[in-house]
Amino acid sequence: MTSDELFAKIQTQFPKIEKAAVPVKDYLTVRLPAKDALVPLAQWLKSNGFDYLDMLTGTDYLGPVDMKGYIRQSNFNVFLPDGATPEIESAANPAFAYKPVIDLLWSFISIHEKARVIVKLELPREAASAPTLSGLFKTADWQERETFDLLGVTYEGHPNLTKILTPDFLQGHPLRKDYVHIKDRFDE
Amino acid sequence: MSNALAKTYDNDDVAGVRTDQMFINMGPQHPSTHGVLRIGLTVEGEIIVKAVPDIGYLHRGTEKLAEVRNYHHCVVLTDRWDYVSAMPNNLVFCLAAEKLMASKVPPRADALRVIMCELNRIASHLLFFGTYGIDTGAFTPFLYAFREREMVLDLFEMLCGARLTYNYIRLGGVMTDATPEWLGRLKEFIEYFKPRLDEYDTLLSFNPIFMARTKDVGRLSAEEAVNWGLSGPNLRASGVNYDVRKHDPYCGYENYDFEVPLGESGSCWDRYFCRVREMRQSVKIIEQALAKLPEGPTMAMGVAKIPKPAPGESYAHVEASRGELGIYLVSDGGISPFRMHVRAPSFVNLAMLEEKLVGMKVADVIAVLGSIDIVLGEVDR
Repeated sequence: MTSDELFAKIQTQFPKIEKAAVPVKDYLTVRLPAKDALVPLAQWLKSNGFDYLDMLTGTDYLGPVDMKGYIRQSNFNVFLPDGATPEIESAANPAFAYKPVIDLLWSFISIHEKARVIVKLELPREAASAPTLSGLFKTADWQERETFDLLGVTYEGHPNLTKILTPDFLQGHPLRKDYVHIKDRFDE
Repeated sequence: MSNALAKTYDNDDVAGVRTDQMFINMGPQHPSTHGVLRIGLTVEGEIIVKAVPDIGYLHRGTEKLAEVRNYHHCVVLTDRWDYVSAMPNNLVFCLAAEKLMASKVPPRADALRVIMCELNRIASHLLFFGTYGIDTGAFTPFLYAFREREMVLDLFEMLCGARLTYNYIRLGGVMTDATPEWLGRLKEFIEYFKPRLDEYDTLLSFNPIFMARTKDVGRLSAEEAVNWGLSGPNLRASGVNYDVRKHDPYCGYENYDFEVPLGESGSCWDRYFCRVREMRQSVKIIEQALAKLPEGPTMAMGVAKIPKPAPGESYAHVEASRGELGIYLVSDGGISPFRMHVRAPSFVNLAMLEEKLVGMKVADVIAVLGSIDIVLGEVDR
């Protein structure tokens, strides 16, 4: 099944779903109009061969990370004198549309059809919450916990939405672009 | 706990025998957890009623670190996920970044990448073979497995100077070309290794004690395995034919003739035996790659020292030793990846423990945990 055929099939069922403006290269990427559309689409995909939820994650599009505080040397070339103009500086690309949103992503595959469909959903950063898929796909359980831990996305209806990777004392969600590390006893 | 079980214990109470649930900490410094994994087990006698895996002890935040490094530096980060099979890690990041940069890899580099990944698969499965023997009470196979694994690591050391964290596969190709001397040593190793595979089968695979210990433990149906998102030998042991090398070929895997070993019942022994048979297929792939190794350059022209790919998104996935390893990469046109997400097979495979361990005996935890073959560096990233 080519990606065009697959997209036509999806659109007959869900006419509001569009192709994403920036696709993930080589794969069919669709964008959901609202978060209510996620569960019906996931159910339909599951019953139409796409029963393997490969990956789910998100991206914070606020802007590039400020490199200060993360790298000790701003010059990769160690032979440059101290105080030379930094070769490496975090600079926003004026051609790129940064916006205060979190873009969530789900990637379903059909083992039988050898096809992949990537579903995206844009959410405001302050109210980043999406319905959970852990009832349909058990693999969503830990991956949603990971996204919650690192990006601060709430999954409504998740049975155990708690931290999974970062230590208990860590404040904030590290993969948010405005995350600031608070010094703790391990920094000494 | 089932109600029937609770009832028997109530009766025990009446008879004056007091049974309590007990909480046992397994790990984080337990040798059979293969790293720093803690499982909080609640047991009723010898039966597990609740299991809570606790991970994150090795979390180094590589996804965050990638956001403040340039693309060449990120390849170094990838080595640290699955440190017993680091070649596929290098490869998957390079594939994702090359998709963004639209650079074309020369055929010789592709063939060398395939050889390296398959050699690394052999080394990784040998480590599994050895340690799984120890987990289930057989010490001898470990010594045999490490004898051969050492030879693979020597081959790696000879070519790229490192034994575990290679950084050999680079953006646009590979670090150095394989010398004729190295290729000769590789051929010698292959000839030496092939009869050893039969030795392993007589030593452990069909050993009656080992089979009795693993054959009926930790069974997983195909539907369950797909629903849990398992990948690699763990999924194929349940009879699901999903191998990224066949499903979505990369590096010219479509030109190699090999089979995908499948299991039947998804038991611990099936998972084990899938890996042992995969080593044979890896040998077959390496032989084919050696027979038709193309001449030419090993590095693409025009890969910048500090690459700045055009804004866009890419996803690349490879069949790593432990399953489907994927990288989702977003570029904003800057020097660092704007976002890198790792779909780590060990992390996804481990999730099933929470549910599957319930109802098992404590002794079987080791058999199940060993058979899904996790590396904690990859679970925590």
